[in-house]
Amino acid sequence: MATFDRIKAIIVDQLGVDEADVTMDASFVDDLGADSLDIVELVMALEEEFGLEIPDEEAEKIRTVGDAVNFIQDRL
Amino acid sequence: MKLRTKLCDLLEIEYPILQGGMAWVSTAELAAAVSEAGGLGIIGSGHAPTEWLEEQIKKAKVLTNKPFGVNVMLMSPFVEQNMELIVRERVPVVTTGAGNPGKFIPRLKEVGTKVIPVIPSVALAQRMARAGVDAVIAEGGESGGHIGELHTMPLVPQVVDAVDIPVIAAGGFFDGRGLVAALALGAQGIQMGTRFMCATECTIHDNVKQLLVKAKDRDTVVTGRTTGHPVRIIRNKLAKQFEEKERQGAPVEELEKLGVGRLRMAMVEGDIQEGSVMAGQVCGMIKRVEPAAEIIKDIVTGAEQVLSRLSKGEF
Repeated sequence: MATFDRIKAIIVDQLGVDEADVTMDASFVDDLGADSLDIVELVMALEEEFGLEIPDEEAEKIRTVGDAVNFIQDRL
Repeated sequence: MKLRTKLCDLLEIEYPILQGGMAWVSTAELAAAVSEAGGLGIIGSGHAPTEWLEEQIKKAKVLTNKPFGVNVMLMSPFVEQNMELIVRERVPVVTTGAGNPGKFIPRLKEVGTKVIPVIPSVALAQRMARAGVDAVIAEGGESGGHIGELHTMPLVPQVVDAVDIPVIAAGGFFDGRGLVAALALGAQGIQMGTRFMCATECTIHDNVKQLLVKAKDRDTVVTGRTTGHPVRIIRNKLAKQFEEKERQGAPVEELEKLGVGRLRMAMVEGDIQEGSVMAGQVCGMIKRVEPAAEIIKDIVTGAEQVLSRLSKGEF
């Protein structure tokens, strides 16, 4: 599965949103209704799925789905 | 039975009881009195400027030789300077609220300061544990002030199962029964705020103390759920105004504006109708104003009695 699809599946599962809403420029907070604790859980789920560590400084910069995809793709 | 837990060794305190670092409430006087009585007193810095905090830390050091802590609100505009001050003053313990203290941890640990964030969920507890904090405070929605979604009873055991550092239970604790219950859930101690508001040494306005002494079980409400920042306060004129505005669907900015300066108004000026009297659901159990040492003694002797009764099978 492509990286984007794997990430999308996690976002749909974690945030309980529709697949169609998970676009590259969707903001986790403004468009997908996530709060700060949702984002912590999402970051942990992404770390587990891709076997990598996302430090706090980096996690803070992840605001959109695209940010997450780009961050992970750069490290795979 | 001795009430000493590993948390006591970690923090070098006699009893596993922390006094919550409440903004505008937990001054050096209260923190030092709690530490002197064998618990861990914690100064609440809230949004206060660094000069204020420095004065408080120095005062606490004069009043007690025992360890004490400072609570740092991570959304304070002075957070960086406050952390620097804490490092400079070698404050033994830092508790944090409203976020993730990750970037401050290495500097604090370097000088031996114990870092203990307040966390409202399992995932944040796990992330904090990984970042190297010494313990976490799992605080349920029974507590006063800013609260999370989960309540203490389900939150504490889930956090205990998820991390391998000491967990301190907070939200809804008042006496020895609560302390034993927290230990039963796997916590190594408790943090209490509301009861310590009615400690003799607490410098808040007497109107607030008398209000809490009179308060009953149902006297707190949660406002601000629509803003995403729920706050538990005593039901008063301000609370009703807030609820009314929320019902009318007032914009978040308007609701936030309504809350500005209200905590100080209550705690310092004593306006218990228009001010924000942040307090937890245990307010109904407060019967008197008494010295911090009496509060600690009551919790400890009460817990020992409960433990002895339970161990004899007297349920």
